[in-house]
Amino acid sequence: MEQPAVLVIGAGISGIQASFDLASRGIKVYLVEKSPSIGGRMAQLDKTFPTMDCSMCILAPKMIDCSHHPNVELLTYSEVKEVKGSPGNFTVKVVKKPRYVDISKCTGCGICVDNCPVEVTNEFDEGLGMRKAIYMPFPQAVPRAMTIDKENCIECGLCEKMCEAGAVDLEQKQEEIELKVGAIIVATGFDIFDPSQIPPYGYGRHKDVITALELERLLCASGPTGGHLVRPSDGKVPKTIAFIQCVGSRDRRHGNPYCSSICCKYAVKDAVLIKEHDPSARVCIFYIDLRAFGRGFQEFVNRAKTEYGIRFIRSNPGEITYDPETNGLSIWYEDTVTKKIENLKFDLVVLSAALIPRKDVGDLVKVLGIEVDPYGFLKSSSSISDPVDTTVPGIFACGYCLGPKTGDIPDSVSQGSAAASRAAEVIVGGK
Amino acid sequence: MTKLSELEPKFMHEVANTPRGKGILACIQCGRCSSSCPIARLVDEHNPRQLMEMIILGSRDEVLHTKLPWYCLSCFTCLDRCPQGGDVAEVMFAIRNLAVREGNVPDGFAAQAGNLIKTGRVVTPAMMMINKREKLGLSKTPSTAIEEVQKILKKTTLDKMMASRRTVKE
Amino acid sequence: MKYAMFWGCLIPAREPNYEVSVRKIMPAFGVKLVEMEGTNCCAPFGIQSLDYMSWLALAARNLCIGEEMGLDIVTLCNDCYESLLMVNTMLKTDHELKNQVNEILAEVGKEYKGKIDVKNMIDVLYDDVGVKKVKDAVKKPFTGLKVATQPGCHLTKPKRIHFGERKFDAFDELVRATGAETIDYDRRQSCCGGPLRGINDELARDVARMKLISIKNAGAECIVTVCPFCFLELDMSQLEIKRHFKEEYNLPVLHFAELLRMAMGMKLDDWETKSHRVPLNPLLKDRLQEG
Repeated sequence: MEQPAVLVIGAGISGIQASFDLASRGIKVYLVEKSPSIGGRMAQLDKTFPTMDCSMCILAPKMIDCSHHPNVELLTYSEVKEVKGSPGNFTVKVVKKPRYVDISKCTGCGICVDNCPVEVTNEFDEGLGMRKAIYMPFPQAVPRAMTIDKENCIECGLCEKMCEAGAVDLEQKQEEIELKVGAIIVATGFDIFDPSQIPPYGYGRHKDVITALELERLLCASGPTGGHLVRPSDGKVPKTIAFIQCVGSRDRRHGNPYCSSICCKYAVKDAVLIKEHDPSARVCIFYIDLRAFGRGFQEFVNRAKTEYGIRFIRSNPGEITYDPETNGLSIWYEDTVTKKIENLKFDLVVLSAALIPRKDVGDLVKVLGIEVDPYGFLKSSSSISDPVDTTVPGIFACGYCLGPKTGDIPDSVSQGSAAASRAAEVIVGGK
Repeated sequence: MTKLSELEPKFMHEVANTPRGKGILACIQCGRCSSSCPIARLVDEHNPRQLMEMIILGSRDEVLHTKLPWYCLSCFTCLDRCPQGGDVAEVMFAIRNLAVREGNVPDGFAAQAGNLIKTGRVVTPAMMMINKREKLGLSKTPSTAIEEVQKILKKTTLDKMMASRRTVKE
Repeated sequence: MKYAMFWGCLIPAREPNYEVSVRKIMPAFGVKLVEMEGTNCCAPFGIQSLDYMSWLALAARNLCIGEEMGLDIVTLCNDCYESLLMVNTMLKTDHELKNQVNEILAEVGKEYKGKIDVKNMIDVLYDDVGVKKVKDAVKKPFTGLKVATQPGCHLTKPKRIHFGERKFDAFDELVRATGAETIDYDRRQSCCGGPLRGINDELARDVARMKLISIKNAGAECIVTVCPFCFLELDMSQLEIKRHFKEEYNLPVLHFAELLRMAMGMKLDDWETKSHRVPLNPLLKDRLQEG
């Protein structure tokens, strides 16, 4: 009998690692991804801590290796709609949404994008920039092809006319594909907490109060400002920047009580990045506890203090208000170390928002029949001895969909490999 | 500041077991309350985070015998924002209740209590107002039940607490 | 719609104009306010600071009167509202506490049973009457008037009791129903400083000042309040601030009932206009009675 394949749902770094590991040992993988390109959150980041490597430079080779592997079949812009069966023998229905572009013909040249008359907010840039109705989410997208967002497309047909490869197919239909797989791996990742749930922080009312993920897009060369850190309100370069930690994390009232585990790390990383962009910028990080565990991280924090002059203030500010005098933002806080109540003005405030389960994971969880914890993260069948097994045999999980991790990217990669190994046991069988 | 030898480590639990005082157990000293408090911005003496700290450390004497907990507006801003459910504003009430039992009541509050015990109300209309209300066709003054109020306050011993009060130290 | 009307202490003692306005607008919405006989102080913040059981018993005694009348209680004052609502909620859910309170109430022949609800005038207008009916009753809308709303802390917080931002939004909607424009300002959810009156007048004034600065910066022309304490504080303190800081804000303060009354086409009498320390002229001059 032919060796069954594995279905991997979610093509972020964790899902990509799992897919590649399985493919490398001769197992066929269907890699399903909801968005038009694989890559996930790592594609949105500028640099990764603590080595400050360019995120895309690490991710892109993995994306290529994985997608080009003969054992990996990419099903992008697709969703899993139905799952039946048992380990070794699952039947899965996948719906492939029409992108109205033939990816075998599209060269990614971009003429269509230049001529498209419709502009909408760009979700890849967290709403900070614009994209056209026909678009590629980011330059290194895999598959390297355009997608038409039919909801906003006005069907003017210009793209079809301009395309020299004849790749635009406005008649393309949704496809339903049935797959037979032996094991399933869920790697759907996370969403960011919406800080407008904490009204005193002014997110949504003041344009210069942004989340850390939005900051990453502003710092990233492929982002809406070409990597120049400017204020969303007036395009000026911010000279004073504040980070506020634990926004929606460790918060029984507005968010979730857990610690998202990576915000202290990414905030210090982003603070250092800002200082590298502009050494004259003054950066303050408002924290409750500075959680800097793991290899290299406490040293990184120490460097941030001594070499980069980043100011760490132990305080959880109550509100962020607009300051008309400086056209900036005012933060009142009590420095709990000096016990003094003070006020500082900032040009830009970055909220280190919590990482939460994806909003759409609820539907997938129902389809798969797996359990989630009270926060919406996938439950392991035993969080100590079987961390990558879900509550349904034959279905495994990896990455942040399992909940807060300790090391972020390296942990997600390790878990990808772990899930691959577990899935392989089902496929290859044996004792 | 209280001397180390005068700290009472059990104070935190005494407060936690007083009505409205349970929130003290949740405090992680993050400073959200003090960063939000309008009074803390105006005067040094009042600082909700610091009050919680003093309770946790056990500065019982200072907390219960000085003006410290009496500046609170009970605006509930701190309570709404505390990420741990520390209910700071409620702990303020618990502390005040404890302070009153030890005979410490600031003048303004004692005056209100005095009115309450005498008239059944905290504020009563002056003669001029009573006449004005009559002219406007409103009831002269809302009817009240002084005797019943006094009976209640006798049973809860509030009248005794007020009788044995001392002025609060600055 | 019938309710037991709990006037509290402050309105009868200091603000008869608030009472008059409320009595004038409620009949238009079919709301009948029945007088409560023999009420006592609700036990606001100052009394709560002294003793827990005294607070519960005093508030519960008023609740008993409402229960005996078989009507929900409506208050105007935020302090009364907070006190009665919180005690009502606690005694409805904590039976042991209820028994302790009833032991005290037995001294005066009363028993709390937990049969009624406590509402504020804003709850009545928003939930029971409805914004649409309020809008329909408006004959002379306040078009173009920039209002800073002050619903007050004890109407709206703790947020877990008052469903988050709901009360803030509800009050703003009611003010907008009169045709006015509600201005958002940074310290909209902040305290007026009122609770410290009589205890530390300077602090009360300084807290009010923080609020007034924020309102002025946002471009509002006047302030509309629900609570009589907020009214007194924001109105009175402007004169104190003028004396002490030499700053003038010129922000007339109105009770919401007065705003609605004028929007319904009635004019304020001279004595009512005079009870506002910050002059209502010239902002509202065509809504005020001559001399």
